[in-house]
Amino acid sequence: MKTAVTQPVITDADFLKFREFFYRKTGIYFEDNKRYFVDKRLIDRIEATGADNFRAYFIALRFEASGAELQQLVNAMTVNETYFFREFYQFDCLVKDMLAEVVRHKRPGERIRIWSIPSSTGEEPYSIAIYLLERWPLIDQYEVEILSSDIDTTVLSAAQRGVYSARSVGQLPKPYLEKYFRRRTDNEFEISRDLVAAVDFSRVNLSDANDTRRFRDIDVIFCRNLLIYFDDLSRRLAAEAMYDALSPGGFVCLGHSESMSRISSLYTVRRFPDAMVYQKPLSPMSPTSGNRS
Amino acid sequence: MGLRKNSELEPLRPVIDRALPRDAEGLIAQLRSPDVELRRWAARDLAAHPDAARALGEQLQQELDSSVREALFTSLGTIATQDSVGALLPLLRREDAQLRNRAIETLASMPRAVATRIAALLGDTDVDVRIFTVNLLGELRHEQVTQWLLNVLASERDVNVVAAAIDVLAEAGQPEHVAALRAARQRFAQDPFIGFAADVAIARIECP
Repeated sequence: MKTAVTQPVITDADFLKFREFFYRKTGIYFEDNKRYFVDKRLIDRIEATGADNFRAYFIALRFEASGAELQQLVNAMTVNETYFFREFYQFDCLVKDMLAEVVRHKRPGERIRIWSIPSSTGEEPYSIAIYLLERWPLIDQYEVEILSSDIDTTVLSAAQRGVYSARSVGQLPKPYLEKYFRRRTDNEFEISRDLVAAVDFSRVNLSDANDTRRFRDIDVIFCRNLLIYFDDLSRRLAAEAMYDALSPGGFVCLGHSESMSRISSLYTVRRFPDAMVYQKPLSPMSPTSGNRS
Repeated sequence: MGLRKNSELEPLRPVIDRALPRDAEGLIAQLRSPDVELRRWAARDLAAHPDAARALGEQLQQELDSSVREALFTSLGTIATQDSVGALLPLLRREDAQLRNRAIETLASMPRAVATRIAALLGDTDVDVRIFTVNLLGELRHEQVTQWLLNVLASERDVNVVAAAIDVLAEAGQPEHVAALRAARQRFAQDPFIGFAADVAIARIECP
């Protein structure tokens, strides 16, 4: 006789229990309108792990020593794709607020260092370059160095090649597309070699102090949608590395679903009109200085 | 001015051999440096020296700079040995909540190493230490967590420790734990909070 295979069911109570747990572990909070999205991925993972039902899966997830399944689940819940001007509100914050604070401690002509990690295939560092050129009025008064790193040398090569699909450049205002790209085919756009030359790409593992040790005096770090894929310890190591790479008063921008406050108390939360970012304090930290948000 | 071109880049800041020794002995000596940056780097680099766990713990007992504390905790979490656990446990008795909470977080990140100490911690004479241990169990990924919590429900005499255990079981409990929750409710029948907390936990476990 053929046995009927029934799909696991996620009840309202299961959803609430999972939502609370996942928020505590990752800082990602799913609104009620994400229920279908969450249920589908949870059911996929329940089936993939061979758990009998949600309860069995949740208990295994909750007490699994390695954290491997939690990481699988995080990956499933945070499918990311990159494109030009993604989460552009942080670039607005860069040119309106963060750089205004950075230049308070610099004289005209001095260098400003911005580090984009992971570079992935280059959309983020090039977006930063375009934003600065087009929307930061003081660009001609300072020397801006854009550094960009990734652990994956394949994507670094692609970033330096600088050829993008129509979807990847779809959010760019048309004048910028015409100014900084050359259309190669219907679906291929090649970025200006001047922009490629304006970004210094390097291979770096953010969790490895030997890789990050040489990064110093950085004013702004964009580290978006990366830490979410790390385990707890690697996140802390990354937070330590960025702290030591930053100048006092320097900023870190994380992805919209990430929270530095859940990783480390090294940083001060700064809320600007366009974005919430994290700042290395200007002066040494006493334990009672209240740096946690 | 403007964007600096790649071809013009100077090295960031070259990695140069540090004047101060980077062996374990030298790094441990630098933990006492008056220079915060030196202490932070010493703490970070000692992550590669498991034998330094005790020295990292001793520094945590007296370190006043939060950024150095963070590096000390992260390195102890990286080392993750019995010595790391031994270095962190005294912090559960400290009044400084930030220090205590970071100790709990770091201990929770090393389940195998900390597991052998749980029974003793749950039998500690200090009620606060027992409560913090239950808090630690709430974050610990270890297959014995529920058994330790059931032991608390069955034999712990302090109502606040039992309440903390019920709180964890409200999330992590399974149907087979309901009887233990009911028994704890009965054991503390004179305490309305335990009654309320146990009812909430049972309802959450039993809801379809």
